[in-house]
Amino acid sequence: MKNILLKIEKLKAEGDSKEILKGINLRIKRGEIQALFGPNASGKSTLAQIISGNPKYKITGGKVFFEGKEITKLVPEKRVKLGIVLVWQSPPAVKGVKLSQLLEKISKGREFKIEEAKDFLEREINVDFSGGEKKISELLQVLSLNPKLVIFDEIDSGLDIKNLEKMTKIIKEKLVKNNISILLITHWGQILDFLKPNITNVILDGRIICKSKDYRKVLKTIKKYGYEKCKKCKFLAD
Amino acid sequence: MKNVKSANFWQIDHKVKNILQVKGVIVSSSPVAWEKFYWTRKYFEKKPKEGYFVWIKKQVNFPLSTCITIASPKIYQNLRNLLVIEKNIKAKANVVCNAKENFLYGKHFAKGKLILKQGSFLVYNHVHKWGEKDFVSPDYQFILEKNSRLIYNYQNLFPPENLELKTTIFSGEKSSSNLNFLINGLNSKIRVKDAILLEGKNSQGIVKLRLVGRENSQILAQSIISANVPARGHLDCQGLLVDKTSKIALLPQLICRNKEAQITHEASIGKISEEELTYLRMRGLTEKEAIDLIVSGFLKK
Repeated sequence: MKNILLKIEKLKAEGDSKEILKGINLRIKRGEIQALFGPNASGKSTLAQIISGNPKYKITGGKVFFEGKEITKLVPEKRVKLGIVLVWQSPPAVKGVKLSQLLEKISKGREFKIEEAKDFLEREINVDFSGGEKKISELLQVLSLNPKLVIFDEIDSGLDIKNLEKMTKIIKEKLVKNNISILLITHWGQILDFLKPNITNVILDGRIICKSKDYRKVLKTIKKYGYEKCKKCKFLAD
Repeated sequence: MKNVKSANFWQIDHKVKNILQVKGVIVSSSPVAWEKFYWTRKYFEKKPKEGYFVWIKKQVNFPLSTCITIASPKIYQNLRNLLVIEKNIKAKANVVCNAKENFLYGKHFAKGKLILKQGSFLVYNHVHKWGEKDFVSPDYQFILEKNSRLIYNYQNLFPPENLELKTTIFSGEKSSSNLNFLINGLNSKIRVKDAILLEGKNSQGIVKLRLVGRENSQILAQSIISANVPARGHLDCQGLLVDKTSKIALLPQLICRNKEAQITHEASIGKISEEELTYLRMRGLTEKEAIDLIVSGFLKK
């Protein structure tokens, strides 16, 4: 059990009075890479935001544990201190604040360099950043926070194959090699070929309906038959 | 005098604490100037009781500084200030008005005239640091003669309970003025009234107003640009409501009396974006730290 970093039990949540998560169960071990695969509006990003403590969502049932400690009601900044960090799919612009300024505030003396970031360190955070620049900026912030679990929300969206390759190389070098756990959220699946998850989960309509050690098999099935096939699978996860 | 690297005036409560002069710059209290320089009487409405007089006659290569402090409880300052820059001189003034401590219940009234003679250039950095119960009311007039240029930067780092800030610019021919106001409201009632009167042909004026309404603050800003001649003016007012107990009212006013004049304005009031706040909290900043960072960014815009 000590090896379990994140444990989610029967998590239910709503946003704007609409039920989004309908009983999620998930366990992530130290150093493990898991993928969460699902179509648009299946609850992937909501789950990522809730694990990270976004107060916008109301938890209506279930619990979240991190390293054995319950964190269901913990504020986002305290979750970061525990080691949970989210890479946003579409990070907002913070006008008038330079990226270097934020990094200085959050890094507490830890210094990480990514060669590609040097061109936009002195620019305002996410203001007129290209898709690739946003992802590099996110990654740089994440590394500065000394994480134990990094959730990547659609890191492969808006990236061409060359940039995706570059990004996954950094993830491997800076996170995977250092035994940092990863939850990869994707609806595209291409990134899985680069990072090869230990477990692939399929989320549909607010529920994780499939868990598999073979990501290729999951990808192949969905590609061929669509998500509807997962619903009918006799090995449903829950 | 030989090694002096600045000229300054420092008043505490009602007492002149320090006066430092350099060659080419006359610094004195306003009552002394009234007696000594008869011509100053046309600028002072009546014999002043307190305040400073700075007369920049020759080019100096360092900033001038004035500091007016309230250090004792229940002091009522009533200042008359006069700053005159002679023709074609470039100068920078750092002006601080402050309370030494919180809860002194001081009153600071200041009427000032700043005369920029032909071709002169002034950067006027005005900083306020007050206590929570002070009442502060500065009323400054800048008289810009032909081809003169003014950059006026005002910032209240710690707002008083009441602030009435009045600024009027009389713009002569081909003169230009840039006014940058950074106003913080916190448990305070603030009235800002600024006016650029474009009276000289081809004069220009720009006002940039940034208002931040923190807890229990009410800010009313009235910004006027008027043109009687062919001239150009622009007003840029933006307010940020940080707390639900705060209120900001913006009243931009453009008055054009000449068909060749061009005056424009943009104004907006918004609140802190929840998404930005959550994003920064997910980077480990507390809610307060995140708000401070967003506000600092807003003020730099």
